[in-house]
Amino acid sequence: MKSNPNIMNKLGESPSSHIFKNTSFYHHLNELKSWRFSYFQYKFILNSLVLFGLILTGCERDEEDLMRASFPSNPDVFIDEFSQGLNYAAFGGSDVKAFDVDNKTFYKGTTSMKIEVPDKDAPTGAYAGGVYFTSTGRDLSSYNALTFWAKASKSANIDIIGFGNDLGANKYQASISNVPVNSNWQKYYIIIPNPQLLTNERGMFFFSEAPESDRGYTFWIDEVKFENLGTLGANKFSIMGGQDIVRQLETGSTLQVYGEAKANLPTGIDQVVQCTNSYFSFTSSNPSVATVDANGLIKVMDKGTAVITASVNEVNAIGSVTIESSGAPVTPENSAPIPMVPADKVISVFSNAYTNVPVDFFNGYWQFSTTQLNDININGDDIKRYSQLNFVGIQFTSPTIDATSMNRFHIDVWTPDNISSSSELKLLLVDVGADLSFEGNDNSSHEITIPASQLTKESWISIDLPLSSFSGLASRKHLAQIVISGSLPNLFVDNIYFYNDGVVPIESPSTAAPTPSRSATDVISVFSDAYNNITGTDFNPNWGQATQVSQVNIQNNATLKYSGLNYQGVQLGSSQDVSNMQYLHIDYWTSTSSLLNVYLISPGPKETPYSLQVPSSTWQSIDIPLSAFTNVNLSEIIQLKFDGNGTIFLDNIYFYKNNVSNEPTGPASDPALPQADVISLFSEKYANVPVDTWRTDWSAANLESISISGNEVKKYTSLDFVGIETVMNQIDVSGMSYFSMDVWSPNADKFGIKIVDFGADGAFGGGDDVEHQIDFSSLSKGQWVHLDIPLTDFAGLITKQHIAQIILVGQPTGATTVYIDNVYFHK
Amino acid sequence: MKHNHPIFYIFTFIIAIILFENCSVDTTQELPARNYTLVWSDEFDGSQGSSISSSNWTFDIGNGVNGWGNGEYQFYTDRTDNVALDGSSNLIITARRETYAGHNFTSARIKTEGKFTTKFGRIEARMKLPVGPGIWPAFWMLGESISSEGWPLCGEIDIMELRGQEPNVINGTVHGPGYSGGNAVTKIFGFTDDRFDNDYHIFAIEWGEDYIDYFVDNTLYQRITPDDVSGDWVFDQPFFIILNIAVGGNYVGFPTEKTPFPQQMIVDYVRVYKEI
Repeated sequence: MKSNPNIMNKLGESPSSHIFKNTSFYHHLNELKSWRFSYFQYKFILNSLVLFGLILTGCERDEEDLMRASFPSNPDVFIDEFSQGLNYAAFGGSDVKAFDVDNKTFYKGTTSMKIEVPDKDAPTGAYAGGVYFTSTGRDLSSYNALTFWAKASKSANIDIIGFGNDLGANKYQASISNVPVNSNWQKYYIIIPNPQLLTNERGMFFFSEAPESDRGYTFWIDEVKFENLGTLGANKFSIMGGQDIVRQLETGSTLQVYGEAKANLPTGIDQVVQCTNSYFSFTSSNPSVATVDANGLIKVMDKGTAVITASVNEVNAIGSVTIESSGAPVTPENSAPIPMVPADKVISVFSNAYTNVPVDFFNGYWQFSTTQLNDININGDDIKRYSQLNFVGIQFTSPTIDATSMNRFHIDVWTPDNISSSSELKLLLVDVGADLSFEGNDNSSHEITIPASQLTKESWISIDLPLSSFSGLASRKHLAQIVISGSLPNLFVDNIYFYNDGVVPIESPSTAAPTPSRSATDVISVFSDAYNNITGTDFNPNWGQATQVSQVNIQNNATLKYSGLNYQGVQLGSSQDVSNMQYLHIDYWTSTSSLLNVYLISPGPKETPYSLQVPSSTWQSIDIPLSAFTNVNLSEIIQLKFDGNGTIFLDNIYFYKNNVSNEPTGPASDPALPQADVISLFSEKYANVPVDTWRTDWSAANLESISISGNEVKKYTSLDFVGIETVMNQIDVSGMSYFSMDVWSPNADKFGIKIVDFGADGAFGGGDDVEHQIDFSSLSKGQWVHLDIPLTDFAGLITKQHIAQIILVGQPTGATTVYIDNVYFHK
Repeated sequence: MKHNHPIFYIFTFIIAIILFENCSVDTTQELPARNYTLVWSDEFDGSQGSSISSSNWTFDIGNGVNGWGNGEYQFYTDRTDNVALDGSSNLIITARRETYAGHNFTSARIKTEGKFTTKFGRIEARMKLPVGPGIWPAFWMLGESISSEGWPLCGEIDIMELRGQEPNVINGTVHGPGYSGGNAVTKIFGFTDDRFDNDYHIFAIEWGEDYIDYFVDNTLYQRITPDDVSGDWVFDQPFFIILNIAVGGNYVGFPTEKTPFPQQMIVDYVRVYKEI
């Protein structure tokens, strides 16, 4: 059994749209039903109308009529007066004076029928509606359509207009609905689905129209008559909306077939006519499995398959119903397991074990739902039996359920249906929010799918779910609906309740997040009471998220709260350059989340997630190195984003840098090796070999020689790369094992050392130059770092007797500052 | 089929009034005696769902330039979803509302260009036509010189065009140099109490050196002669045959939400006779 996927999607998103918005449609359907079964009421009104003198009967041709062997075929209903034998009766509950004959406004001739639709609460009646019928039947079999002209005092859609309503069985009723009218006269057509059946028809015309937007108006109808028109397209018929429907049913189940007719009007558009099933001939391919009666009611007789089809005048209708009967109903032999949770920890919707809360209904019979409900009792246990289930709503609004002190949802189910790998059962919880209305924008819901692996045929299954797993529920303070759907058409249900298993997690922090202590000059703050935040930041931009965002005060500390997180953006008030910052700091608290990521976003968008450890029922402070957000342009941060689930509290979201000074406060430590083991280029500890230059003219860097605590140091600024040359006095380091150097940088993200050997020819080029570069990507900043690199690491440096260049490379390119000291080779 | 002139609507409207008035009066006709012999036909025999004879027909594919010159909406394909035999000796061209190649409708247009042309004779097709606002079926011919001389120099004979919002009315038209688009020579044929989708009707021209006679079933409703056109008479060269359903366009207006889809043009046969 497949439900309409669109409908189910809608249901998942906003169940309310199913509950309230279709009521007016059903209202009228119910009215229609009531017409059919309230004959005596009409009879009464009819009599009262006789007193009004509104029944206009002609008598001139009575004798002729009596002479006829068959019924008259007079096509006229209302041309300028009631045609022969025509009567009028208003529907019960309608304004009985809504109809009158108008001799001022008409399409043709001298009069028209005027219908004054009352206002919604008019004391005279809630709507306009009535039937024009004859006492003696007419033979309409030589016509193919009822036609009329209509106009209205304003643009409106008339709920229903048709014929075949005879205040009795209404056997051959046909009608069009939501008929658009405006202030211009237009011609309307209602095709006769199968004219040859109408040899004795008394229902000539009927209408019903409720106020439009609660207000009344007037419409006129003229030239009402049956015609035989060649300008109409051939009639087409369908059942079940033209679909080939498959239903799994059990013996004893019934299913109503519905049909409609369609014809192409002279304007080229199709018009659908709702018509009674009497127009159709129904056939079952296998009456021993399922029978279908003249009214299209299918009754399942036995196990097997039967296909129900229909035809009209030997033209097959499009669509069919295939009944796949599993045979005699299989019902549970045993009652459901008796709940053991103490009653004081339970809010029960349906169980014999507890006092249940008031429930509006256990089946809303919503539009497109095929679900049927029976109350059954097994061994004294009351059970809800759902059959033909596609989806069904259980609703409790008087009052809604406050389950904030509960932490689990329980339901027992039993199915006779075969379980396949694609079988599933879905449970949707709906919270209507503080407005207690399905309208409004504070509704939230979450659906859990129970997979086939957790379903068993013909045994009671206790489904017991933590309420936290319904993570889309922004609140469970105003629960109002449980919606059951899935692929099991037969489901027995018992023991629906919310309960507390004693470990309800605290949902919100009792203390504020720790107050940050970093200097404001080192911070760019997004959200914190401790700093001036970026102005103009939107903490709830509409990115289509389901997350509910609020700010709560915890110990007088503003805290950001995300409820029912799916994802949530933060649109910074302005683009931020955080490239000189080092960390993103966040304080977070969540007892319910099982997944939480934070993203930084730069234009593109370029975004990178960082996973936060959850849940945590204490405040967690995290300092995320900005280098973790690879791919993001740190000089242009425009947004933050969180995704995951649960309810999250956030505070002190800011970027910061450690306050690193720009210059060493002291010298590097003196080397300890003896002079004999060392070839030094730059150190006050050793005798240094000649160096041509500490900054070649092809370098991209500035050089200063400075003194720190009396210790001479080379300071490179704006470093991209710098060349240090010993070309004039090339160094033979073949007897050495290491290259050493002390480096201090406030900002180098990357620092590289390249050593070049000019080879045996002792000259640049010549084909024998060798070199190797080693890069350091995580040099500690703000402190002297002693680099001691085995020369074997300079793998490309296969000759070492003519060392002529040392090249230093820094990133950020052209912006790196480094101080160096104690540059030497050693054994 | 190529129309690019807004005057066209007004023009045809006037003719419609005149013609409808004439319809009821013009009950007897004297048809010229002509003897024809069948020289070419496609009876559309073949199995259900199979494609059309490639020795008789080729396909126009796509949406042309500016919707085949008329702002048409459909994308023409050669898929059997859009053009196929029905197994009961009919050709079915089907216009569908579906997203395909960036267009919202698909249909088909087939032609005998490069396969068969005729100069003079009786050209007829027996068809049930599609209907609905914005639906534009046509049975028509183009001069084979279109590839060298272009349109309208090549000449165009529209044996039948129908606007789907008027299921009871067709047009017969010629276009040529100086009398194309809105200035074409055209005439309406309409039923007062019937329509073109419920039953088969035969649409035909009888074409000779100095006349083109237009027929629906056995009714001659229009004769066009060199005196009727305001430019050169270009109907003295071989023409090829085209069948198609367009959706939307300047001539027909545009489909609405209420236009029923799919729409089918059911062709029993296309036959060409020569006078003996």
